[in-house]
Amino acid sequence: MSLRKLVFLVAHTAILFWFASCAKSQEPTFELHIRPILRQYCFDCHGATDKKEGNLDLRLVRYMKLGGDSGTAINSEKPIDSLLIQRVISGEMPPGEAHVPAEKVETLKKWIEAGAKTDRPEPEQIGPGVPITAEDRDYWAFRPIARPIVPEVGNKAEDRIRTPIDALLKQAMPLGVSFSADADRETLIRRAFLDLIGLPPSLQDMERWSKSSYENWFGQMIDTLLDSPQYGERWSRHWLDVAGYADSEGQTTADAVRPWAWKYRDYVIRSLNSNKLIDRFIVEQLAGDELAGTRNGDWTAEQIELLTATGFLTMAADGTGAGDNSPEARNKVIADTLKIVSSSLLGVSVGCAQCHDHRYDPISQVDYFALRAVFEPAFDWQQWRVPDARRISLYTNANREQAAAIEQEAQKIAEERAAKQKLYMAEALDKELLKYDEPLKTELRTAYEKPEKERSEEQVMLLKKNPSVNITPGVLYQYLPKAAEELKTFDAKIAETRARKPVEEFIRAMTELPDRVPDTLLFHRGDHQQPKQKVLPADLTIAADEGALPLIPERASNLKTSGRRLAYARWLTSGKHPLVARVLVNRVWLHHFGQAIVPTPSEFGKLGMPPSNPALLDWLADEFTRSGWDLKQLHRTIMKSTAWRQSAVRDEAKSAIDAENAYYWRKSIQRLDAEVIRDRMLVASGTLEPNLFGPPIAIKADDAGQIIVDGQQKRRSLYLQARRSQPVAMLQSFDAPVMDVNCERRPVSTVATQSLILMNGEFAWQQAELLAARAMREAVPLSPEQFPSQPQMPTPLTPEWRYGYGEFDEQSQRVTGFTDLPHWTGTEWQGGDQRPDPTLGWVIANQNGGHTGARFASIRRWTSPSNSRIRIDGSLQHGSPNGDGVRGRVVSDRRGLLGQWKVLNNKAEAKIDEFVVEAGESIDFVADCIANESSDSFTWTTKIAFSVTEGIPQARVRDSVAEFHGPIAADSFAELPSQLHIAWRIAYCRPPTQAEFQLAMAHVAEQLRAIQKDPRGIATGSNITKQVLVNYCHALLNSSEFVYVD
Amino acid sequence: MMGLFSRRQFLAENAMGIGSIALTWLLQQDQGKQPKAIALAKPHNDLLPRRTHFEPKAKAMISLFQHGGPSHMDLTDPKPELTKYSGTDYKEDIHFSFVNEASKKLFGSPFRFKAHGQCGTELSELLPHTAEIVDDICLIRSMHTGANGHEVSIRYFHGGIPGVLGRPTLGSWLVYALGTESQNLPAYMVLTDPGGLPVDGVTNWANGFMPAMFQGTVLRPKEPRILNLEPPPHIRGKFQEQNLAFLQDLNRRHLESHPGESELEARIASYELAARMQTAAAEALDIEKETTATHRMYGLDHPETKEYGTRCLIARRLVERGVRFVQLFHSGQPWDNHSGIVSGLKSICKKTDKPAAALVQDLKQRGMLDSTIVHWGGEIGRLPVTQEHGSPEKAGRDHNGQGFSIWMAGGGFKPGMTFGKTDEFGHRAVENIVTPNDFQATILNQFGLKHDETLYIHSGQEQIITNKRPARVVQEIIA
Repeated sequence: MSLRKLVFLVAHTAILFWFASCAKSQEPTFELHIRPILRQYCFDCHGATDKKEGNLDLRLVRYMKLGGDSGTAINSEKPIDSLLIQRVISGEMPPGEAHVPAEKVETLKKWIEAGAKTDRPEPEQIGPGVPITAEDRDYWAFRPIARPIVPEVGNKAEDRIRTPIDALLKQAMPLGVSFSADADRETLIRRAFLDLIGLPPSLQDMERWSKSSYENWFGQMIDTLLDSPQYGERWSRHWLDVAGYADSEGQTTADAVRPWAWKYRDYVIRSLNSNKLIDRFIVEQLAGDELAGTRNGDWTAEQIELLTATGFLTMAADGTGAGDNSPEARNKVIADTLKIVSSSLLGVSVGCAQCHDHRYDPISQVDYFALRAVFEPAFDWQQWRVPDARRISLYTNANREQAAAIEQEAQKIAEERAAKQKLYMAEALDKELLKYDEPLKTELRTAYEKPEKERSEEQVMLLKKNPSVNITPGVLYQYLPKAAEELKTFDAKIAETRARKPVEEFIRAMTELPDRVPDTLLFHRGDHQQPKQKVLPADLTIAADEGALPLIPERASNLKTSGRRLAYARWLTSGKHPLVARVLVNRVWLHHFGQAIVPTPSEFGKLGMPPSNPALLDWLADEFTRSGWDLKQLHRTIMKSTAWRQSAVRDEAKSAIDAENAYYWRKSIQRLDAEVIRDRMLVASGTLEPNLFGPPIAIKADDAGQIIVDGQQKRRSLYLQARRSQPVAMLQSFDAPVMDVNCERRPVSTVATQSLILMNGEFAWQQAELLAARAMREAVPLSPEQFPSQPQMPTPLTPEWRYGYGEFDEQSQRVTGFTDLPHWTGTEWQGGDQRPDPTLGWVIANQNGGHTGARFASIRRWTSPSNSRIRIDGSLQHGSPNGDGVRGRVVSDRRGLLGQWKVLNNKAEAKIDEFVVEAGESIDFVADCIANESSDSFTWTTKIAFSVTEGIPQARVRDSVAEFHGPIAADSFAELPSQLHIAWRIAYCRPPTQAEFQLAMAHVAEQLRAIQKDPRGIATGSNITKQVLVNYCHALLNSSEFVYVD
Repeated sequence: MMGLFSRRQFLAENAMGIGSIALTWLLQQDQGKQPKAIALAKPHNDLLPRRTHFEPKAKAMISLFQHGGPSHMDLTDPKPELTKYSGTDYKEDIHFSFVNEASKKLFGSPFRFKAHGQCGTELSELLPHTAEIVDDICLIRSMHTGANGHEVSIRYFHGGIPGVLGRPTLGSWLVYALGTESQNLPAYMVLTDPGGLPVDGVTNWANGFMPAMFQGTVLRPKEPRILNLEPPPHIRGKFQEQNLAFLQDLNRRHLESHPGESELEARIASYELAARMQTAAAEALDIEKETTATHRMYGLDHPETKEYGTRCLIARRLVERGVRFVQLFHSGQPWDNHSGIVSGLKSICKKTDKPAAALVQDLKQRGMLDSTIVHWGGEIGRLPVTQEHGSPEKAGRDHNGQGFSIWMAGGGFKPGMTFGKTDEFGHRAVENIVTPNDFQATILNQFGLKHDETLYIHSGQEQIITNKRPARVVQEIIA
């Protein structure tokens, strides 16, 4: 979202608070104005801790008046002399770099001047630490979720209030703003597909849904999409972002690969596809191991699923198994995990409370460590388990037995091999010793056969002196080559046997060590080397009314595990937690609309932004929990609203009131996520592989160090290996997250590197080629109404070389009656299937020359593709002493006769010095019989060299031999319109309008003409028609319409 | 709608409700069309030029990063006492990285030092070309990271916290805060070594928690130096123009049906920029346009200096064309002379001394030095004691983050001065200690930025380059 939009939202919602507070009082009060300042700057030393610095306690006004070692903090007589003000103004307080800004000092002064008032009487007693106040509890995010009364607003039909969502949005709209008309059906189909499954509709999908006459086609379409397996692939990505999914461990430079993370990814896909209720989904991820219980025999399928779910808690970067297993590194893993849990589920940043009480929100350092205590039994930093130590093997007992049996087989073969080897060694020794005479021979044998350690000094010396006797298995091949070969076959057999063992798979799970529940100690200033008091597990104090916070057991009596995470997860999903449901529905809304009700989805605290429509947020949260945490139902609820179904088109009058669409009077357009852009290209090119699940697709650095997908992988981007240190260049450029901890919200950037990647990068060109090929395959003839008056296509150029017959007219010095030879034998052109042809006689053209006819000359015609200067080198040869030989002429249709030669059983250099040709000019190589056609076979090879040219690279050469060809289809532009049309429909999921089709045709016609003039525009192996089609497809894939959805 | 007055008032009254940064930011939004200031509550996502806190001295910076720990007592920090007591045992405690080869035997520099220039700064014979620019540089002899490890100190220099990854690098902060002056080139560019990546790899120019647009764009060490800059051969020239014209027709039509969508406008502009970059970048990288004299000056006519000289020259051409921050890296860490320090230093000095000096001279003669900071330095220095390897020619020195030298030139740094001191043996910085955080604060200051008010909000927390660690602008070295 743009900055302007954020400003607007703040301004809009906060205005209510402003009026409220203005009405209440113009003077600052302790609760509303002073305490937040003190929280930010003072409470660390004068409130949060048991011992207060200078014995000054600032938590209550009466304590301030009481003062500390230096006397009262508030001087009501002379407010400006109050120590509270003086110490702050002088910069003495707070100590260190931070200073209280002037406007806040001003507020403090005003407050003391006005009598240091409180809104309410202060409590008689307060507990330790900074107390949570009524104001804190009254903050919107911490209030219990209350289902708002859905207003009866407007006229249902006229204002198009379809659902409570619409009513709540309509209620907030200012005068002059109202919902837009529904988007047209085609737009809705595209929108629904890209939103729910992250893939565009196929031509068949478009056909099906745009023509459906079923009244509830829309609901049916949504249901179909929600039922498709691609739904889970798309929506899992959103969750994997906040979960911080990565296929590598991070933290160290090596960024070790995390081999089994994908099992968790697949778990998320499966869960969403099966519409696992989200409360269950959360409980499984936080405490699946506690639910799974212990292994009894083999892990059951259900246990495996539950343990896989805890992969969520193993997503944080963790280099402890890859070189950095320091206490700092371990504690960082814990802190990062808490960040993932809190930003994904609680929507508040608890991180700052690791070192001190939160400066803005009522989250104390004790709260932070209480939350940590929930996870500490799993993340026991004193008895740390590195990632590999936590993984769980999926080997069943049967697998294990099978593997053991196979290993036994392998051992047996190994024994056979050892026996064989022993024999061969002995044989080799015998052979070698033949070279020696007695007694040396026996001495050597004795020495060799003695175990190395037992050899006497002389024996050692003896062997050293005669090194060739020192036969070892490693050099056996030098003595008995065949024996070594035979041993190798044993090795292969052993390897083969072992390969038959069942593959051992693992899951990356979070578990607790049995019978160990470590204490959680509060770390002074977050430093693990300064542990303080023990803290018991609990949720944030602010999450429930005083005394209402559910107890989390220190150690559950009914479980093998501590039970802490299970109890915590159950509380989070109890429906009573103020944050969880709000956070979840806000995220779902964000993905449906591209803008969230709370614009800071992981920061519901004071550092974030307030909800643009608090009633809507609460209604959705309540509806969601009431439905039993049914995510698919939530999608339906949202997508059936007018808010979602309306058009994205701007209305000037409404834009003038709400340019940023804060009131949802239209559907905002959305840039597709990086993965969707890549996937959509694969769909357009028709090559997306739809299979689900499995290990990640390998990536690699290209020769420039840019990370690309390895090989021709065509699976969805979700499956690409996500290395923290090696982000796939194309995805990263379109804002795919590179996981540091997790991704709370993707930015939408628009930069030139994206354009360069799409304009010039290999991937986009490959996909354009594939789309063009697909368009050629799938094009269907256009009906006249689809193709009324179109721009004139240029006339296709004929092939440069043609093979025909005709005559040379002495009078005009030109060739007359040139006609293509009609029959191709597979190697030669001639007059018909008989030779000689009854009409044309012996006229033949072949690769190296041909044969003349009695009446007609054999003519090889070359047409110049450009204005140029050319030189002709050639050789005309006649190889028979019989007859009268052959005459060769080179004739231009513009310039007449350029040269002629006669050959009879000899050879002539048929050369023409450099001369100018025009594009389209024919140069004919005319061979006639002179008078007698018998024995008139000839060889005539020619090379035409370009020099000064327009559009042809210098020194390009035409070669009559190399370029000789049979029949080829001349360039035909006839199919292009239908190909352009279908490519458009495939890429955009809609047919072009008349004007758009005109535009496309005009562009293509222009480019055809340009390439006809300059064939360098054609890629090697392509042709002009295909090339313009590829270029056109490439433009479609690059275009805004392709990467945005409206 | 709320009028300006009431909105300001609301903001003032509710400052605590939304946090003071939000306040500052929201007030700034009211200030109309002036360039946006950089103390923003919400990260921006563009490279528009931005207002600085005060008048800047520098507009651009070229950092010649010297990975590994250049041995200051052999290069920039003469230690007669060390020479005098060479071979005797050092009395103080030393932290060694390579304990198995640790020795306390002092190792006097085998290289001669001499005073140079008007300022009389003493440099080693290994740096004859740096000696020629000694009146233009500010040599800091009291750098201190406190840690001996490479990565720990590298990350401290780039990201602001010792050892911590995942933070934006200095270039990211500058580009984020200042935007770009080049409409045709990336604002933050990195020139890597043909031998491979430096230690710590791509994290040396990472954007950390900032959007990807603030990361360094790597110029490849060989042609083509920018990726995706050239279309396939058959698409070049007029064919690409035709394709782009058609594409932009499509994009404009799409925009027409979504009037006022600034993202779509930006997208059209980004294709125009990309097309311009194709030629502009090629032009910027075409050093054949430089005179033979310039080529020679950077040592392009000698095999030892050709590669590094080429990159120094490209760095100048980039800055000349408005690039904000350029950083050069070596492959691995050539200054990590644990053994064979005599030959090792000779060879790496040969490679870098002349091109680095030429860069300063060249910028000066073009009148660009005043507005361009040149930084030369590594992440640590080396110990005064020997790292034993049996024979003198094999001797080396172990890591030392307690004291070492770097130099700065241009961009408002005082020329011809030395600053700070290490102890008599060069082990610890003892006077006017400068930390990487001080270094960062001072550089931001030269760009007209208050380092502690150049904010980025990440996960709801104010982030600054130094992570609020103690940092001071080193006023003494600023002209």
